[in-house]
This record gives sequence, structure tokens and C-alpha cells, in this order.
Amino acid sequence: MSVSTAAAAAPDRATDVGVIDSDVHPNFEAGIRDLIPYMTDTWRQRMGFGQEGWETSFAASAFHLPLNYLHVNTAGAFRKDAAFEGKPPASDARHTARDLFDRHDISRGLLIAGQMFGIGAMPQAEVAATLASAYNEWMDERWLQVDDRYRGALIIAPQDPDLAVAEIERMAGRDAIAAIFMPLHEILWGEKHYHPIFEAAQRHELPVVTHPSGTESIFARAPKMAGTPTFYIEWHAGLAQIHYSNVLSMLCHGTFERFPGLKVVIAEGGFTWLAELMWKLDRDWQSLRDEVPWIKRPPSEYILDHVWCTTQPFVEPHKKEHVAQVLDMVCADRNLIFSSDYPHWDFDDPQRALAAIDPALRRRIMVEAPLEVYGDRIR
Amino acid sequence: MSRHVIDRAEEIPPGTRRVVDLDGRSIGVFNVEGTFYALRNRCPHHGAPLCEGPVSGTMLPSDPDEYRFSTAREHQIIRCPWHGYEFRLDDGRGLVKPETSRVKAYRVEVEAGDVVVYTR
Repeated sequence: MSVSTAAAAAPDRATDVGVIDSDVHPNFEAGIRDLIPYMTDTWRQRMGFGQEGWETSFAASAFHLPLNYLHVNTAGAFRKDAAFEGKPPASDARHTARDLFDRHDISRGLLIAGQMFGIGAMPQAEVAATLASAYNEWMDERWLQVDDRYRGALIIAPQDPDLAVAEIERMAGRDAIAAIFMPLHEILWGEKHYHPIFEAAQRHELPVVTHPSGTESIFARAPKMAGTPTFYIEWHAGLAQIHYSNVLSMLCHGTFERFPGLKVVIAEGGFTWLAELMWKLDRDWQSLRDEVPWIKRPPSEYILDHVWCTTQPFVEPHKKEHVAQVLDMVCADRNLIFSSDYPHWDFDDPQRALAAIDPALRRRIMVEAPLEVYGDRIR
Repeated sequence: MSRHVIDRAEEIPPGTRRVVDLDGRSIGVFNVEGTFYALRNRCPHHGAPLCEGPVSGTMLPSDPDEYRFSTAREHQIIRCPWHGYEFRLDDGRGLVKPETSRVKAYRVEVEAGDVVVYTR
């Protein structure tokens, strides 16, 4: 028996919104150069885009987008079948709408800048902020205005909170903006550095989404793993440690006491670690509460109220019954929202990846919970 | 109700405690600035000898990045010597999860100069 999409997750009756995908990556056709039309002559000059030909292939000739250049995914980092007319996967908004929304019966897709993950590692905040603004314009013009099922996560440069807030103010009112994408940076998320960004996010009722940056332990201003992984598989399977540390940092600093309306979405960061984090912190809090007296409730309650993880890449335990058990442990009905990660190689099909779980919970993860996270902006 | 005379009050001066065995139960009797308290000497968490832990004031719930330490009577706590869990001296309730985490507190009086603990 095949699993029908209707059975997978029927649309919300009031809004007619069906499956919501919280992690879709639009790609450039020619890398960073796609952004040239969206910046001033001065910035084109500053970024080295005046050069042509062989010069552009050398380091220090023009800015490149920080990503994972030191590891190789030999299977290819993208779904091969997502390429279209010789162009990179997910570089054409109309084709992507057909290939993702129509083919997989997905109702909404949140765009998270595919090649901009690593701008938080750039040494000059103004460069990162200029690229962020250019990307936001590109995304608006080339994607959000093309198909009304797209929603955009406006990207900011996390290095400079003032510039980040200015970009939030500039973009938050645009149609189809549904979240803020804050790339990872070397500073942990509970620190004062981010307060202006979280204040703006709360004021605009925009969830703050983050995602692996591709720069972890590779660039100096990227977040650190315990060391630099040797292999792609080692890097890929270990990415949760960054998010674990950031959530821990926010909880210990009382971020959600300070910003009670703040919502944080961790895309593609795994989620089973939430169980360890909630149990560990709830126990430690009973012993060490006096160090962080602003934590007024069991720390897990702040996670349940303020933090969501996306599903992809979904867990495949050795025993099938462990899927339901681990979902119960992490309070998946509160903390989990669906994502496909289209068009990356580790894509999850909404009809296959979550097929084994309870239909009511699946519907919660695919439709109801994301409607609560993004509110009217996703409708 | 079992009435137990522990000692003359002056033999348990402020800042000291006495751990006694009453009806087969180990119970700690504390004098904190002239007020007496009595608690079961067993932490509800892992069974540690709770009454051997330090007595102190407590850090109050506060806004982020602020600390407010109180030594007021209602904030006097005993801290478990094993895991540091905090319990109010007056009613034995845990500062964390007060509804479910509680150590038995006993009525204690000074009667004609005797420190008296009532059990059951």
C-alpha cells in the first residue's frame, strides 16, 4: 500500500495550509556573482568583482563565500535529479516549485540561503552585511515574487548586531518574509552580543532560524567543534554539538526570560540531543541553580516553549520501535517541525521519511507546529 | 504524637546543630539565629545524610545577570552534602520542584528551656 499525501498530513482546515517545509535552499547559478546586480558599484569594487577571466579563480582576487572547502562529499552535496536545464539544483524558482511543492505535495517552503551559510565567519562585518542585503533582494525578486508558496528567511550578518538589526528593519515588512536566518558565528548565542538581534526578532514576531554553516572548525571566526574533523562524514555527523552548545548557552544566560517572545528554529541540527540536554540541565539546575538564578523554571520548559528543531535528516534507529520512543523523549509534539533540506543530498521526502510515525504526530510536525511557529506569515 | 526532649536550648547555640535518633529515624535539629528547625536526615533525592550539609541563605530568583542573595529567615536552607539540592529549613520543601521534592520537617519547640521535637 502506498502512503498517500492526504494521509501523510491533511491541510489545516482554517488556513488550507498543508505540509510546511522549514528548510529549502535556493542556489545561485554562478555563486556569489549572482549578487553583483544587488549591490552598489562601490561594494562591487570593494569585493573585487571588477576582475574578469583567470584572475577570478585565484584566492584574494575577490570574496568567496565561506563554506566547507576542506571536506568532500564524494556522492555530491546535491540531489542530482534536482538539476534543471544544465543549471545547478534549486537555482530556478519555477522548476523548484514544481519539483518540490508539486511533486511532494508541499504547501509552503521556507527559503534559507543555500550558499550563504558561512557568512558569519567573514572577518569584516560590513562585507557580510552587504552580501546579506544583496541576497535578501535576490531572494525577494527571484523567488518570493515568483511563487506564493515560498517564504523567505531574511539573512543577517551575525558579526555586527547593529547592522543585523538594520537589515531586519529593512526587510521584516516585505511580503513573504517569515523568519530571520542568523548564520552561525564564533560567539555563543546566549551572550549579550545578540541581544539587539533577539529584541528585533521578538518585536517583529519573527522566529530566528539557524543552520549548520559549513565553516565549523574550518574558519577561525566560525563556531568551534572539539577539533577539526578529518572527513566529511565526521564533520556532517558531528554538527549537532554546535547547536547543543548554543541552546545550552541561551538557557544558562536566561535568554528566554529576557526575550519571552523569542522563537528559535534549528534547521538540520539533529534533535535527539534535546533529550540529553533537557534531562541533564534539569538535573544540574537542582544542584547549581544559585549560579543562574534567572532560570526560574526547569530548563526543559524553556526549550519546550521556545526552541524547535527540524526533522531532516530524520533518525533511522536500528530498532524501528525506537523512533516513537525517541520522539516521545524529545517531546516531538512540541519541539519538532518538518524539513526536507531540498535540494541537498540528504533530502527527506515528506511521504517517506516520517511514514512510520503516528499520523496525528506526523500532522503536528508537518502542519500544526510550523503554523504555530511562523504564525500568519506562513499562511 | 511522640514528644522528644533533645537537650537544653543553651547546649544547641545559634549556628549549631544536633543530629539525633528518634524512634529509629535520624533527625537533624538546627538553631539558626535563635530559631530551631528539625528535618529528617535523609535527602529525598538519593538518600544522602541531608542534615550534614551546610545551612545558609539562598540566591533568590532574579532577572538575567542579576544576583540577589537573601539571609532572611524564610530563605534559610539546608543544602544536601551530596548533590547540593536545597531545602527550606522551615517546611522541608525543595527550592526546585517544591510540590514533589520535600523532606519531612518536624515541629520543634523550646519548652521550659528544653528543645523539644514532636514526631508523628
